[in-house]
Amino acid sequence: MKYAFWPGCVSRGAAPELYTATKAVAEHIGMELVELEAAACTGAGIISDGDPYLQDVLNARTLAMASKLGLPLIDICSTCIGVHSLAVEKLENEEYRARINERLAPEGLEYTGDTKPRHLLWALFEDLEGDRLRSLIKRPLAELKLGPFYGCYILRPERVLGFAEHPHRRRSLESAIELVGASVVTYDGMTKCCGFPILTTNKRNSLAMAGGHVGEAKDSGADALVTPCPLCHLNLDAQQYDAARVVRRKLDLPILHLPQLIGLAMGIEPDKLGLDGHVVNTKPLLRKAGVR
Amino acid sequence: MPKQDFVIERYDPVTERSYEQQFTAEYEPGQTVLDCLNSIKWTQDGTLSFRWSCRHAICGSCAMKVNGRSMLACKTQVTDIVDRGDPIRVAPMGNQKVVKDLVVDISNFLDAFERAETWLQELPDQDPPSREYRTDKEEFDRWSHTATCIHCGACYSDCTVVAADPKFLGPAALAKAYRFVFDSRDSKKHERLEFLSEKHGIWDCTRCFMCIEACPKDVLPMDAIMELRTEAMREGITNNHGSRHSNAFRGGVRKRGRLDEATLPILSAGVRLGAIPELIGYTPGALRLLKSRKLIMAAKRHGANREGRRQVRRIFDEVEAEKARSAVDAEAFAAERSSALMAH
Repeated sequence: MKYAFWPGCVSRGAAPELYTATKAVAEHIGMELVELEAAACTGAGIISDGDPYLQDVLNARTLAMASKLGLPLIDICSTCIGVHSLAVEKLENEEYRARINERLAPEGLEYTGDTKPRHLLWALFEDLEGDRLRSLIKRPLAELKLGPFYGCYILRPERVLGFAEHPHRRRSLESAIELVGASVVTYDGMTKCCGFPILTTNKRNSLAMAGGHVGEAKDSGADALVTPCPLCHLNLDAQQYDAARVVRRKLDLPILHLPQLIGLAMGIEPDKLGLDGHVVNTKPLLRKAGVR
Repeated sequence: MPKQDFVIERYDPVTERSYEQQFTAEYEPGQTVLDCLNSIKWTQDGTLSFRWSCRHAICGSCAMKVNGRSMLACKTQVTDIVDRGDPIRVAPMGNQKVVKDLVVDISNFLDAFERAETWLQELPDQDPPSREYRTDKEEFDRWSHTATCIHCGACYSDCTVVAADPKFLGPAALAKAYRFVFDSRDSKKHERLEFLSEKHGIWDCTRCFMCIEACPKDVLPMDAIMELRTEAMREGITNNHGSRHSNAFRGGVRKRGRLDEATLPILSAGVRLGAIPELIGYTPGALRLLKSRKLIMAAKRHGANREGRRQVRRIFDEVEAEKARSAVDAEAFAAERSSALMAH
């Protein structure tokens, strides 16, 4: 299993533990990741505020890089997979694609439409046989009650995310929690916005969203949340104490990156998964899980 | 006839009691949630309250939450949403005060249209034309889908920003504002964009796509909000957080090919006196990040490799030149709009 790998900006910046954990899990299960070191940020829907066309060119370029390698493209960020998938949809327009390919040609790249980007979360279930996947779980986390936190762009808009062909993607995160043997805690906010996109434009609203969801998950009995999106992780973990002040309550809920959860259950040691790199302490959670 | 259980969230304003009540209704294939609610009201409990009128998804009265998502009860067939014999859960719309049962107070939703003045402001000093005011097809195609809004409030009910800030104008009013911003018969384009760029306007949207998924008429409200942002920036209305954030983000990617997390909050706040309290506000968070090594990683300033950066800069330059020659951004939005409308 060999993949073109787009790590996204945040796993190479403020959430390095996601990168560490992804590499550890990939190695453990024999996924070879060819990192796209020359690829650019997806623009995250922010470059497109002022320059939607520019954002599409940058993403067509990344998709074309994977295509040139002849490898399926893997993202590890809900925002990245959403922005890539929206780009794929727009690039179905032939005139628009031709225009964009003119910008890629000087680099010897061409977007032909044959790259279907996927999130690691989807690929795990789609590329590994169920039995093999289950056989990799050496340390079931049966003591833990975990809440999913998806991040908007891995759920919406449905039309670009292949939900019709792959219905399992609708509840992929619940499946991951079930896979590791933990119980799923559902709550209203699990499919909503973490608030991160407006953290710098409207901090109060942003943190009210983050704090509200974390509080709700805690009230529903969650020991931790798990997310496939490092941007959500930044708002839910790194900003959690500020969010707690906005919603005026104690939170202290650990937030796991998806590969950290999978890695733990596969028996990888916590320090190889960057679990000491969070703002909210993960040690009590690990103790509860019986890991340390 | 098949039977279906419904769990309805009810509220009695006299006793101020909220409770859930289960009903069972018979339905025939093709019948809607509204048909079942009417059958329950007419044959089981006449006190059950909900709004409805046309039964054809055109009056916009019967929006409510069905299995947690806002939709029109008259456009939702029972057979499409039954799930392994589970009861269908019906609740009032979100983000608004419940008046009774499934009826909510929609005045905040409607006020947003007034605040955004979503009606035609005619051109001054112009004699009325001999016929009606005309527009051309290209322009009409840009905004006609937003003019199909039936003011049902489904988008407002699911909006994640309204939930945090009731003053946010909301998806429907912003989509309606879009319709006038891009209508050449309207005289207030710039003023509208200035107003919409203020607090509680376009820059407060989180781009969560909830409104696009909820809208029963394919108004694509969030896409309209995004296009308003681009147009506002193009009109030079950039003295706001959102534009500064977008420009700073773009600048970082231009330089390094990747997001520059270390300088982004500072550049988004802007070089101005008002930014000082905001930057101080970042300090406690920054100290915690420092402790967790996150800030050090962010400050290490990762980036694309050397060749990648060179190519990214080339693309930025070429796109800038291309933008000066042709309306590539409008093309980008048109591509998104046509595929979205085709798919929905």
